[in-house]
Amino acid sequence: MAGMNRLPAPFGAWIDRSKPISFTFEGKPIEGFAGDTIASALLANGQTMISRSFKYHRPRSVLTMAGQDSNTLVQVGEEPNCLADKRRIEPGLKVEAQNYVGSFEDDKGRFTELVERFLPVGFYYKSFHEQKTSWKKWEPIIRAMAGLGKADLKADFHHSYYDKQYLFADVAVIGGGPAGMAAALSAAESGAEVILVDEGAELGGSLWYARFNVDGTHGSLTRGELETAIAAKRNIRVLSDAVCTGLFADNWLPVITGNRLYKLRARSVVVATGSIEQPSVFRNNDLPGVMFASAAQRLVRLYGVKPGDRAVILTANDDGYGAALEILDAGISIGAMVDLRATVPTNEMTQAVRRAGIDVIAGHAIKEAIAGHGKSRITGAIAAPVAGDGKLGDGGRVLDCDLILMAVGYSPAAHLLHHAGAKFAYDTGSHMYRLETLPAHVFAAGSVNQAYVLDATLADGRRAGWLAARDAGHSAGAEPPAPVELGCDGLTHPWPIFPHEKGMDFVDFDEDLKYKDLINGIADGYDNVELLKRYSTLGMGPSQGKHSAVAAVRIVARETGENLNRMSVTTQRPPYTPEKFGHMAGRVFEPERRTAMHHRHLELGAQMMPAGLWWRPAYYGQKSERDKAIREEANAVRTCVGLIDVSTLGGLDVRGPDAAEFLNRMYTFAYAKQQVGRCRYVLMTDNAGVITDDGVAVRFHDEHFYVTATTSGVDAVYRQMLWWNAQWRLDVDVANVTAAYAGVNIAGPKSREVLKRVCEGVDLSAQAFPYMGAAMAEVAGIPARIMRVGFVGELGYEVHVPASQGEALWDALMAAGGLEGIRPFGVEAQRVLRLEKGHIIVSQDTDGLTNVWEADMAWAVAKTKPFFVGGRSAEIQAKKPLTRKLVGFTLANDSDPCPEECHLVLKGEEIVGRVTSAVRSPSLNKVVGLAYVHPSDGEPGKQFDIKVDGGRRIKGVVTKYPFYDPDNKRQEM
Amino acid sequence: MASLTNLDPATLKRRSFIYRKLAAAGAEFAEVNGGAVAMRYPARAENEMAVARRMGLADLSVLSHGGFKGRGTVEWLTRQGLTIGADSNKAYVQADGELAARLAPTEIFLLDALQGTGRLINQLNAAWQWAPSAPRPQQGYPTPRQDSHAWFMVTGEKSAEMFAKICGVDLRPQHCPVGTIAQTSVAKMSSSIIRADLGSTLAYHLLADIASAEYLWTCVEDAIAEYDGGIVGLAALRSLQA
Amino acid sequence: MKIMNCPLNGPRNISEFAWGGEVKPMPDPASLDDRAWGDWLFLENNEAGVVREWWCHVPTSFWFIAERNTVTDEILKTYPASELFKERVNFAPSAKSPQAEKK
Repeated sequence: MAGMNRLPAPFGAWIDRSKPISFTFEGKPIEGFAGDTIASALLANGQTMISRSFKYHRPRSVLTMAGQDSNTLVQVGEEPNCLADKRRIEPGLKVEAQNYVGSFEDDKGRFTELVERFLPVGFYYKSFHEQKTSWKKWEPIIRAMAGLGKADLKADFHHSYYDKQYLFADVAVIGGGPAGMAAALSAAESGAEVILVDEGAELGGSLWYARFNVDGTHGSLTRGELETAIAAKRNIRVLSDAVCTGLFADNWLPVITGNRLYKLRARSVVVATGSIEQPSVFRNNDLPGVMFASAAQRLVRLYGVKPGDRAVILTANDDGYGAALEILDAGISIGAMVDLRATVPTNEMTQAVRRAGIDVIAGHAIKEAIAGHGKSRITGAIAAPVAGDGKLGDGGRVLDCDLILMAVGYSPAAHLLHHAGAKFAYDTGSHMYRLETLPAHVFAAGSVNQAYVLDATLADGRRAGWLAARDAGHSAGAEPPAPVELGCDGLTHPWPIFPHEKGMDFVDFDEDLKYKDLINGIADGYDNVELLKRYSTLGMGPSQGKHSAVAAVRIVARETGENLNRMSVTTQRPPYTPEKFGHMAGRVFEPERRTAMHHRHLELGAQMMPAGLWWRPAYYGQKSERDKAIREEANAVRTCVGLIDVSTLGGLDVRGPDAAEFLNRMYTFAYAKQQVGRCRYVLMTDNAGVITDDGVAVRFHDEHFYVTATTSGVDAVYRQMLWWNAQWRLDVDVANVTAAYAGVNIAGPKSREVLKRVCEGVDLSAQAFPYMGAAMAEVAGIPARIMRVGFVGELGYEVHVPASQGEALWDALMAAGGLEGIRPFGVEAQRVLRLEKGHIIVSQDTDGLTNVWEADMAWAVAKTKPFFVGGRSAEIQAKKPLTRKLVGFTLANDSDPCPEECHLVLKGEEIVGRVTSAVRSPSLNKVVGLAYVHPSDGEPGKQFDIKVDGGRRIKGVVTKYPFYDPDNKRQEM
Repeated sequence: MASLTNLDPATLKRRSFIYRKLAAAGAEFAEVNGGAVAMRYPARAENEMAVARRMGLADLSVLSHGGFKGRGTVEWLTRQGLTIGADSNKAYVQADGELAARLAPTEIFLLDALQGTGRLINQLNAAWQWAPSAPRPQQGYPTPRQDSHAWFMVTGEKSAEMFAKICGVDLRPQHCPVGTIAQTSVAKMSSSIIRADLGSTLAYHLLADIASAEYLWTCVEDAIAEYDGGIVGLAALRSLQA
Repeated sequence: MKIMNCPLNGPRNISEFAWGGEVKPMPDPASLDDRAWGDWLFLENNEAGVVREWWCHVPTSFWFIAERNTVTDEILKTYPASELFKERVNFAPSAKSPQAEKK
């Protein structure tokens, strides 16, 4: 039940053997322990093959055991592309392999490999460029073969709960290995608040599994000391199982753990992300059984899993020998050490391996892994002598093994440093990229900074932590010295690439790219690594070139004769590891605004429509009876009394000695002599003379105007007003009071009677309160601003009251109008009514270019003011001939269909304008509308062409507006 | 157990924009400042003060709040007996526990004390009058904060952590002393947060667009769930303060 | 995400701010010919280097000035607009017909 490959304690530091967990893989029950990843549990149970590759459907298994590769992507329930080597098992988890056709074990898609010569590098470019091949025909086949997992959006799909949270720190340390732990401690000792972000389940990184000395005690002792010290620091917060996926401007760090994305902001950052082991390129280097030495060490130490029975270790450094000792301790036999180096140095590690009787084959490489039956597990390795960079000599040996461990070098895990803008250069001593320059407030420590020897790693961490704390404003003691002996030379082999004449020598596992593919890509002319990347898709898979980028640079350098020192790896961009859309989305924050009467509308059966962030009633009644409802609502206003919620209308209080002067500058009209208690139209243009908003200015006091603005425009109007006055310095105060006032428009011939019943402190008679009059009074005991304005063209009053009493106002007016049968009306009816009156709606009947002259609004422009915003431009526009004109229109033949907004206005074949609003008027029983026409067609009686649905042309007739009640008798009664 | 004499908020003119939500959560209302405020939630098993100490959310929207802005504001308010310090983005406690929150050099947001008498703000609103003729003295202008802003209170030791889910400003107590104001974006809405502890309990006022009250309330309810938070009434807040 | 220091509210995420264009004080419109007015209105220098820009802290609608290097995107300093605009701006009465404003 523990699994056939499970090792006894102390192996398996991260698993809890007292907590067995069962789950299924491909429908088969699998038993593991709490702490196991999917991959470790599968390997413990002898299930070596975990997934299949993207293109050739080749069997794949563990490569890194660190979540850095895509060889173990699996489907977990409805979630595709989970990293099996990172995802912890849970009871009942349903895990399936990906990328197979038919069955996982007997995948019909695996035969793609046999036709690989027909799938050359640049396949898409070559096949589908200039339509030589039909993409339409191939797309479904390619998509079926190449998909990564299944996202079933139809069946059972449900939203998971993802969220985000801010975190703040003086110093963020990314990476919980020895360097990161030392850096966190050092920064904390200086007094900084530290957040230590670590991918692992527990802090320690390589200290958990790497062999730093012969008996393997050095790592665990060091880890224990650091862990104890960190636990004792109250100013260090540790985030385990957390991945930092990017380093953005001003140290903005996304950190993902579980379903949460932390947005970590730090004054300074220490990047201690370590390094990534690099593969050797040889035939079948991708098959199950071939993995990094570090992966095997992680399996053994962290999960207590034996990755095989007999290993061959391909090495080029002492770490391979450390791994060998680890493997031997775990009871795995070693066929041989195959060492790329011509001479193997004599030191403690190599001596210890030799003492164990292991055959060390110097100056050899692995030419090929022998694929077993179905390629589901290798059965041996062929070693051959190295005859030069990338070349193998004759002869060699077949080594019996089911495990090949690669320990041929490293590359710094420098992704975050790249994101931050750090510069790297190839170092010919270490054969790795070396940090050249760092941006401000970012520090690097440990092996990402070339410090490989444990003492150097720790010293580098202490130094970086101290510097980062000082950078964040916390300084204590003297700066720790930088490490002297880094130990970065001799770890990384410059050319562990051994192409095979029969291929399947993979450079990029994600994208199934072989050595030959890169050579062919370069031959096709893509001889720059950035171009080759895009042509071949190298480094574009989920692991983003973590194991292929350096090899690719080497290959390109060699093929083109370029000097490696002058080449950089392909740009590493965020995210460091794949992120889910759920993490990006988090909780859905979509603000919406509701008026005080919102729930009353719902209770009355309103169909609500959005207006900016607001919700407004479109009409009241069933959707199936929309047109009827709108007609009846309009009719109620024309013949009786209606009530509409206008709370969303913008409202600005403009107060101060310069209030009138300010309005004079902001709006086209003139306000200095406007009487207190009167309303006046306001029209706003921008500096270029384009109409941007309109409304009404109500003068409630010599120094107080209440200015309305459009629902969608008020925020911009307010901001513009403040911007202008930041320059003008007038003695005026502007307050945006939009939300503070709920408002209704009570309109219709009987509106006065109804309002009278609940209104106190003001005489509503026509003489005392004429059209465009205004007053402050009480309505239903609520303090109110009353304006007699006429957007809908009937006797009517806008009543604005404090928002918290808006619902009470609505209740009072609905009750007061019961006798007359007061009817609530919505935005749709209002649009009809206003169009009958020919009132424009800014941004519906105007666009981003409309000026006052073409909108026929010269009447709203005071020509003698010293200045208004847009005035100078309007002056220039006035001198130029009009290019279009906004006119009212009816139809020559009223049986024609009613045009819709944006139907084109044509003159001959030329587009000269468009319909901006049109409706079949219930009051006039004919079509009325507004449209831009050619200036020569602008006079009443002129006909013009409208192209309606289906391409049909109908005739519009320019008609003077208002269409309804042209003498304004009704609104002024 | 719900009280038989429970007040129906719709019988009063001043109504919180979320009174339906409060009623649905089982609130028992009392009249304060012409509106119904949720005093307690009698059906809840756990003591409300315990909830409020951990992670509480309360609606104080009907309590008196107001403000003044424009040139001369602070000088005029000072003449009316208020104590207002020089720093913006600080809230200054007044004699009877009201807060004068200085949002800008010439802008003050006033919040009544939890007792909810409304005395100071009523007095100021009554005192402010246009001078009969120009040139008029600079004395600022009243602003309709009572109606432009919903007023919530977030309480308890988890408050700052909860805010970190909906707000990008560092509100942790050690970085945000009592009286600090953050005018920022909360759940994508412009809002003001004022730290105002209740006795020894960490607490913040949250002031935001009244029209978005339902939206914001829902967001905060969602955010407090992780901390086992709950809606609490004014009575619990008063007890914590006492 | 970048941080910008608001002169009123302190350092905040750049998402709290709205850009308001380069600071280019308006010349006296009355004394400018049409072409010069059009040039001022529509032509931008698009400077590669340090520029003065308007920024607005949206939650407080507070306008201020930022000096920013457009090459490095570094914000060098921010200050209230009143440091740049100190005086009340007046416009000369229109020459055309000064008495013409009607009620």
